[in-house]
Parts: sequence; structure tokens; C-alpha cells
Amino acid sequence: MNSFNFNLIKNKNKVFGFSSVLILLSLIGILYSSFYTSFKKPINLGMDFIGGNELRIERVCEEQCEQISPDLVIEKLRKLSDKKNNLNNIKLQIQNNNSLISIRTPYLTIEESNNLIANVDKIVGPLKYETKNSRIIGPKLGKKLLTNCATSLLVSLFAISLYISIRFDRKYAFFALIALFHDLFIVFGIFSWLGVLLSIEVNSLFAVSLLTIAGYSVNDTVVIFDRIRENLKQDQENYNKTIQISINESFRRTLFTSITTLIPLLTLIIFGSYSLFWFSISLSLGILIGSYSSILLAPSFLIKD
Amino acid sequence: MKRKQGWLFFIIFLLTFSIYLLINFPLQLGLDLKGGSQLTLQLVKEEGKVTKEELEAVNSVLDKRVNNLGVAESNLQTLGRDQLILELPGEQNPLSASRILGKTALLEFRTQKVSTSSELKNLQLQRFKISELIDRFNNGDKRNDLYSLVIDNLSEIENDIKYTSNKKELFDKLVDTKKYISNEIVNLFNKTDLSGKDLINAGRRQEQTNSNWEVSLSFSNEGGQKFADITKSIAGTDQLLSIVLDGESISEASVGSQFINTGITGGLATISGNFSAENARELEVQLKGGSLPLPIEIVETNTIGPLLGSKNIVKSLYAAICGLIFVGIFMIFNYRILGFVSVISLIFYGFFNLALYSLIPVTLTLPGIAGLILSIGMAVDANVLIFERIREELINGNTLIRSIDSGFLRANSSIIDGHITTFVSCLVLFILGTNFVKGFAATLGIGVVISLFTSLNCSKTILRFLTTYQSLRQKNLYLSRSNPL
Repeated sequence: MNSFNFNLIKNKNKVFGFSSVLILLSLIGILYSSFYTSFKKPINLGMDFIGGNELRIERVCEEQCEQISPDLVIEKLRKLSDKKNNLNNIKLQIQNNNSLISIRTPYLTIEESNNLIANVDKIVGPLKYETKNSRIIGPKLGKKLLTNCATSLLVSLFAISLYISIRFDRKYAFFALIALFHDLFIVFGIFSWLGVLLSIEVNSLFAVSLLTIAGYSVNDTVVIFDRIRENLKQDQENYNKTIQISINESFRRTLFTSITTLIPLLTLIIFGSYSLFWFSISLSLGILIGSYSSILLAPSFLIKD
Repeated sequence: MKRKQGWLFFIIFLLTFSIYLLINFPLQLGLDLKGGSQLTLQLVKEEGKVTKEELEAVNSVLDKRVNNLGVAESNLQTLGRDQLILELPGEQNPLSASRILGKTALLEFRTQKVSTSSELKNLQLQRFKISELIDRFNNGDKRNDLYSLVIDNLSEIENDIKYTSNKKELFDKLVDTKKYISNEIVNLFNKTDLSGKDLINAGRRQEQTNSNWEVSLSFSNEGGQKFADITKSIAGTDQLLSIVLDGESISEASVGSQFINTGITGGLATISGNFSAENARELEVQLKGGSLPLPIEIVETNTIGPLLGSKNIVKSLYAAICGLIFVGIFMIFNYRILGFVSVISLIFYGFFNLALYSLIPVTLTLPGIAGLILSIGMAVDANVLIFERIREELINGNTLIRSIDSGFLRANSSIIDGHITTFVSCLVLFILGTNFVKGFAATLGIGVVISLFTSLNCSKTILRFLTTYQSLRQKNLYLSRSNPL
């Protein structure tokens, strides 16, 4: 009757093994990132958290923009600038067929930032000022944002845990939470690796994505545990078998839900604004891992030897 | 049957009302969608926490300054306990706003201490020299020997005033030394009880003799009396009157002997300190608004060009519409008539969401749109849960109507659980999150609440309505091709 027939009882150890490998890889990423990188943090914190200045602006070009190397631009910028220190740690990229300039520097005042843009204009101008996107975040605010995100995460994890433990008995609640932390840890680990390998930075939207993943993952696990409880009420003798039947019954639903949530996220990745790109990626990863953990990992804990 | 039709009419009424709202109250767009600047201002207090009264006081002063600045549709609001957010739509360059808002603008009038004339004259000379050096730096004097020239001049000044700045960069050194000199000058003056609080108005005008600007002050009655008393006390002596702004003397002037009997009366004064037109305007706006009870610091500046904003709208619209279409295709492919029902209730869902945004109102930002798009996925989830149950019941051989009823009933608790956990996350994010994050939490949270209504109620009502037609009651229309009965 049901097209899905996964033998969880037999493959329980494979599931545990797979999750352990993922956790281990994440742990290695986090440790490597903490000790062997220039930033020495478990994850590569972006300017939201450490302060800085980010600038994106398009060039006005007829047909095709002239090619110019970023190093040359930086060199010219140094010549034009009086305050040399502001150009330490500058990162300059030229994208989209040489038409888009993006610059990252440590914290600058508005005036210094304007001077920088004026100098860029002198070198690769004219610039399209209507497309300018500039963010300046002071180091003080960055620290505040970091603690703010950390507290939001902790408080909402606590609130979700509380809800789950009221809603289920202790055993179920405990396993649902393990599955949840498993998901968050792996997504965090993936971004640690991304930070190490591709210098991808995380900003406050990453913290938001972790929170959303938490809600989603718990929701998924709750649905499956609900099903298991319901079926166990009818048939308590074949305990392991009933659990296996329950997950196979829920399989379609979990798969479909993941797909219907992933579709809008994929459209965001493809069409959406660049500022939402990594946010959508992290949400998609979280949903994939969350679905896996709620359909396979969490029920595996319930199966008795 | 009557009750069910009642729901149908209610839903149709809600839909019409939503469309009415959307037409008459257009959505408010955030700066990342329409372009503009946003400044986050942090109140700085050395000891203790910022009180509510202090935040309000700073807010009202800044509000006056913003109004006098004359930017249309600017918006100033408090954020949390010790921050303010200023939005300047369309304004491309937040620099002038930041200069006007960032200063405390504490205005004081001081009288010179007796027999300090020679000291003052020397300090004034040094101040003039260092200002000239700073100007040269700012004007981008590109001579190669500029550096050594400035360093030589600076050490001369340093010798004279016996102060060496410990700043590293040359420019910072110059600014720091100037600050020291200004401070020394202020120290040669005694405080009086006349301050910016005694002003009732400020203005500016161009000086007749040259192109410089001056700022005019009008005192209240009491202030005018104080000003007369002060000027009387130093009239005809070599003591000067100094006007101090934020701890820096911006003008020192003598009071002529003709005022020895009455002082300067009339309650008017002018500050002529070599102002440019822009500087004069800034000071005028600051003085009109009054001084800030606490200093503020600009901790975040966001500027988004209007073209980028409209690009962001188009991109988000594409993403939302494509997401909706692909989800719709997926649902209809798998659930056939049920899928069709979910598509209709999703469209309702979209309208209800947008209508609530314009009703509450919620300002739509990029993270907000992300929340909306993500909540589409969550809303469909509820439908999937219900439809899977209906499908199972059908496969188990139940009648269509019974399957539908029990499908909705049995999926109920899972749906409510799932929505509550997501809602909890949103609530926490909304309470604790930054402005940026709040937009996401708001739209996702609203989405979750509406999804409860549309998935449990709208879908059911539409489905019941459709099943009143005999031709739509064939079971096969409710199962996908891969699972025929």
C-alpha cells in the first residue's frame, strides 16, 4: 500500500554513524576555524558583528565596462588618500563584467566613507550613485548585535524546549531536542567550513536562519512523534515495528513539506537580492538536515535493541 | 449546510475587504526597497542606564532638528532603551544630517579671567596656525614636501604650547592638538549663567562686508537681562566675551566702553566666526532645537540608492511569484483537486497577509519579504499534512466526505504544534531582535497566524463547497496518478 518502506530497525546504526560523521566534521570545522585562521573564532563573523564599512556601487559604462584589476585600484586609492591607515585591510572586488564594485573596509566615519567613494569615482568612474548601497557599522554596535543574537537564540531555544517538554513526556522531548541541536550544530559547522574555505562571513541574518531552522526542525519532529504516539496507542506489542511503520507513513509528508518549503527558498536564491543569498542557503541546508533528522535520527533513538 | 455557507460568505467578505484595504492603503516600503538613508543613533552615558525620560528628551530635541533640516517624510523613532533610528528617504548623502544630529550643541557664554590677555593672544595665534594646517590637509595639498612642512610647523606649535599629542596619524595629531588649544582657551574664561537654554530663536545671514555668514541669536526676556548684565561687567575692559559651543570657543569678542552703563540690551546677539553658508545653517538648526541632554553617537549608517531599491522590489516579486507558481504546480500534480484547493487558499493567504501589513501597518523590507516567502512554505505544510491524512483515509476505503472531515480533524494537533513552535521563535526574534531582524519576525509571525486560519478554515470551506457538485465527488480526482484506487 505504501510506496515507502525503509527498514529503520536494521539501519538504525547506519543513521547514527552518518550523523556522527556529520557532527565530527562540523566539530573539526569549528575547531579549525577557532585556532588556525586569521580571525580565530568558531565562525567567520561578518561586519554586523565586528563593525566595518561595506560599499557596493555600479559603474556607468557604455556597452561593456573596461577591465581593471582590483589591486591596481587599491594602489591608486592609496595614492589619493591622506589617511593611509584607513586603507589597511581593504578588500575590493569587481564583479558582473567589471560593472559592480564592492569594497569592504574596517570602520570609517560617514565623511571618510564619502571620501573613499569620491576617490573610487576618480579611478574607475563615473559611478551610478542611484545604485549605491553602503553600510557603516560602528564596532560598539557590532558587539551589541552579537550578544543580542546570542541571547535571542538562547531564549528562543529555551522557550521551544519548555513548550516541547510540556507537550510531550520527558523522553520524547529530550530526543526532539537532541535532533534540534544536531541540526543547528551541523549548519553552524558547514558555515565554519565555508568561512575557512571561501571566507564566507555570517551576519545577523544567519542567526535568524538558525532560529527559523530550530522552529522548523522541532515542528517536523513533533509531527512524526505525534504519529508514533498515535500508532503506539493502538498497537503496543510490536513496539519497534510500530515506530518503523509510523515513520514510513510520515515519509511522504516530510518529503513534500521539505520540497514545498525548499521551492520558495530556491526561487529566493536564484532571483532574490544578494543580501538574502547566504540566508536562503543556510535555511535550505537547515531544512534538508532538519527533515533528515526528524524522519530518521529522532525515531532511531526510540527504537529498542 | 447553512453554517458552512456562512463561512464561505465570511471568507469572500474578508477577501473583498483585503482588496479594498490594499487599494486604499498602499503598503509601506522600507528603505531597502525605496532607497534612502537610515542612521542608528546611540545615546552615550558614562554611568548607569539611560532613563526613559532622557531618551524622550533626546528624541524631542532631535525631532526639532530633523524638522528644521527640512527633509520630507523623514522619520525618527526610538529603538529599545537607548537607541534612536532616523530614516531619510531619498536623501543620498547622510553626511549633513549626521553632522547636525551628532553634535550636543551645548551653547555657553563665558567671560575672560582678569589679566590673561597675552596668554589668550598667543593661544589664538597657535589656533589660527593649526587650523591653517588642517585646512591644507583637507584641501588635498599634493605637494611632496607637505608632510615634512606640516611636521615642522606642528613641532613649532607643540613647543610653544608645551603639549605633544600621542595620536599616531599626522592628521589625528593635528585635530587633537587643535582640541587641546581650544580647551586651553576655554579655560581662560569664567562660566556665566547664560546658556543656550535662554535662547528663543536663532537665524543666519550673510555678513555685509564679506562672503562669510553669521548666526544671530535672540534671547528670552530673562536671557536678554542676563546678557546685558554680563556685557556690562566686562564693557570697556580688556576682558573678552567668549561663545563656547560643546566645550570649544567659537568666537571671542570685546565689549565696547559705550556699554559700560547698561550692557548690551535688546536681547539680540550675533556670532561671527567665519562660518560658511553650510556651517551657519547647521549651527542655526542645532541652536533652534536646543542642546542634547546626553551626547549621541552614530553607530550605524545604511544608504541605499533608489535604483537599487526598485531592483530589489522586482527581484523579490519574481522570487515570490515563481515560488508560488512552482509550489502550486507541485501541489496540483500530487493532490489534483486538493492541490487546486490549496492553491486557491494560498492566494487568499497572500491577500490576507498583505492586507494585514497595510492595516497594522508593517513596513515591508527585504528580510520581511523573505519571511513572507518562507511562510508560503509553512502554509503549504499545513495543507500537506491534511491532504496526506485525507489520502490515507481514502485508501483505507472511507467515503470522500468522511475522509475529508477526519483528515482535517486528525491533522489538527500537529498543525497547531508546528505553528506554535514557529510562532515562539518569531516572538522572541521580534522582542529581542534588531530593526533589520524585526521585519522578518513580523511577516513570518503574521504568516503563521493567518496560515492557521487559511489552512484549517479556508481550505475546508472551499473543499466542502466543491464537493457539493456531484461531478467533483469522484475519489480518483483526489489521488495522484501514482496512487490510483
